[in-house]
Amino acid sequence: MAEILQYVHMDAFLHRLHPYTKILFIIVVSVMAIVATDIPFLILMVIAMLAFAAYGRLLGESLRQLKLILVMSVIFILITVITMPNGETIAYLIPQGIPVIGGLVPITTGGLMIGVVLMLRFMILIFAFQLFLVSTQPRDIVHAMEKIRIPTDYILMFIIALRFIPTLQIEGQRIHEAQLARGFNPGTGFIGKIRSVAPIVIPLVSNALVRSNVLGLTIDMRGYRTGRRTHVHERVFAGRDYAVITILAVAGAGFIALFLAQMV
Amino acid sequence: MIELTNVSYTYPRTVHPALHRISLSLEKGRCIMVTGPSGAGKTSLCLAATGILHHEYGGRKEGTVTVDHRNVEEYPTLSDLAQNVGIVFDDPEAQMIFTTVEEEILSALEHRGLPVPIIEERLEGIIRTTYLEKIRDRSPHHLSGGQKQRVALAATLALGNEILVLDEPTSELDEHATNRIAEILSDLKRQGKTILLVEHKYHHFREIVDTLVVLENGEITASGAPGQVLEDPRVRGMLYPDFSSVQKAVRQPAGDGPAIEVRGLTHSYGEVTALSGIDLAIRRGEFVAIVGENGSGKTTLVKHFNRLLSPTSGDVVVNGKNTKACSIAELARDVGLVFQNPDHMFFADTVRDEIAYGVQNLGIADAGTAIDAALRDAGLEGSADLYPRWLSRGERQRLAIACVVAMQPGIIVLDEPTTGLDGYETLEVIGLLKNLQQKGHMIVIITHNREIASRCADRVISMESGRIVSDTGGA
Repeated sequence: MAEILQYVHMDAFLHRLHPYTKILFIIVVSVMAIVATDIPFLILMVIAMLAFAAYGRLLGESLRQLKLILVMSVIFILITVITMPNGETIAYLIPQGIPVIGGLVPITTGGLMIGVVLMLRFMILIFAFQLFLVSTQPRDIVHAMEKIRIPTDYILMFIIALRFIPTLQIEGQRIHEAQLARGFNPGTGFIGKIRSVAPIVIPLVSNALVRSNVLGLTIDMRGYRTGRRTHVHERVFAGRDYAVITILAVAGAGFIALFLAQMV
Repeated sequence: MIELTNVSYTYPRTVHPALHRISLSLEKGRCIMVTGPSGAGKTSLCLAATGILHHEYGGRKEGTVTVDHRNVEEYPTLSDLAQNVGIVFDDPEAQMIFTTVEEEILSALEHRGLPVPIIEERLEGIIRTTYLEKIRDRSPHHLSGGQKQRVALAATLALGNEILVLDEPTSELDEHATNRIAEILSDLKRQGKTILLVEHKYHHFREIVDTLVVLENGEITASGAPGQVLEDPRVRGMLYPDFSSVQKAVRQPAGDGPAIEVRGLTHSYGEVTALSGIDLAIRRGEFVAIVGENGSGKTTLVKHFNRLLSPTSGDVVVNGKNTKACSIAELARDVGLVFQNPDHMFFADTVRDEIAYGVQNLGIADAGTAIDAALRDAGLEGSADLYPRWLSRGERQRLAIACVVAMQPGIIVLDEPTTGLDGYETLEVIGLLKNLQQKGHMIVIITHNREIASRCADRVISMESGRIVSDTGGA
């Protein structure tokens, strides 16, 4: 089963970077992706993300997200085409040959462009966050975030939310099988589909609530919330961190310069 | 080290006390084992003994609890209590928070305010004691229940406290994994740790138990040296189910051909071969037990009976129908499958509605009669209007069986139906199954418990690495 956004234990370039460097990486990349509107530039950034992943031996992990990205892309493009018609009409979503409704919902260059921009931004953000999560032990995330004074409880919440995604996937699968054995009917039609969700969702949520109680007590009784700690194998800034920070600084400065030049 | 004096406790919004006038004294370096039927208040006792009850739960409390000669209410927070007492729960999954074994233990160690070299030394020591050397870099999703439970124990040990409370740490584990936990606990006891253990599996832990306590309906009904307490036949039956009352099938199964026939069955998950070349025929009315270690392919095999899994190669024929040509819904009429954890299926508001779900899915005529009969068979007539999740573990297990029985399949398959049950509850489940066999159902159970297999089943099939290695009734 594909494990979404889980830390992968290995020793490679990205794993050896300091968590702060990686957090800075996410911030710079996110700002650039959100501010930029130029399609070739965004495509360049996507390629840069993949190259960065490949250098950290994580290209396979990145490519596993393609299915999700593809689905989201189609949705983005559909929404912008429908809601933001602008520029020249190149085709119609409903072919003109069909009587009455034919020719409705024009596909315009403007709508399409915005859709593609959104899709590329989404790709960059997903790749960047995934590289961070896959290459950083939650323990290091806790330490890094604590140092910048984010309360421990919030950090634990964040980490647990990620940690239990695969657990819920597996549990959902088991519940589904148990209900199939009882003649579970996936339902037809919209209402039927919604109703048929109850036998799966109710046990899943009830069990998760019971489990969260044990989890909460475990966290308390292991003293994870005291915040007083010694850090073993503390990460130190090394040459590679300075190299990455320099690249980020140059890219950021170049980006600002370009942005200002365009404004003028 | 832990002292409970006249402790009574009632949960918020309930009337009946979960604990009633409990007095218990656990001295340094000793081990108390608490046992009793499900719903007797064993978990509440663990929560009380660690001070969690006083710090985290509302409800009515009486009496005093001291940990390390200090009243638990005097500890400012749970984290302070955690410096003195550690607890391991029964759910292995909920106790792994981080992403590798080593990280989990290290995270707990880092809270002791020790210098780095000492932390590293302790880490190695704990990993050795809990036999985690080979899996220290694994993630939780690649660990078995037993391995996760050892990690939970290791992370608790990392806190360095002298008192350990364990709430049914082996209930989800097989024989082998239970033995591992028992070995670790006897090591810890030798090192001088004080242990409060809630368990059913007395014989695994008999070497370390100094005092045996029986808890029933929130009260201590027996307490003392194990040898003495076990003289009471009632207590004996709780820990060692007495299968002598269980009768083997009187009448031989009707010889009208096999109801399940498996031919050359192979199943692979990706590159892993879970089953290879299984040939098997089971006749109507037989009571079959399948035994074997975790990962030997038992569950994979039975999931083929109702086509939750399809063969990679080979055939499975149920009541003359090749499963390849049937849907799961069709096969639900022939084969009822009860999974290990009953909580994976309950979603209705009452026991009756829960049973009705499967019956309605199959559109069985005269549903009311079928449901009533299933309730009666499972001994749940009195609980028909209760909320399923309020029942005790033993009752929930029987409800899970009733849900399947009401669908009237000729073949009933159960995965580990006695997990987490005491001796009497185990006997109730076995009695129910024997009864169903008498009515003509074929029963197939998967079990780790070789005694249940040999004493109750007519035929025992042993599996090892995806193959059948022995079969006492092979045709």
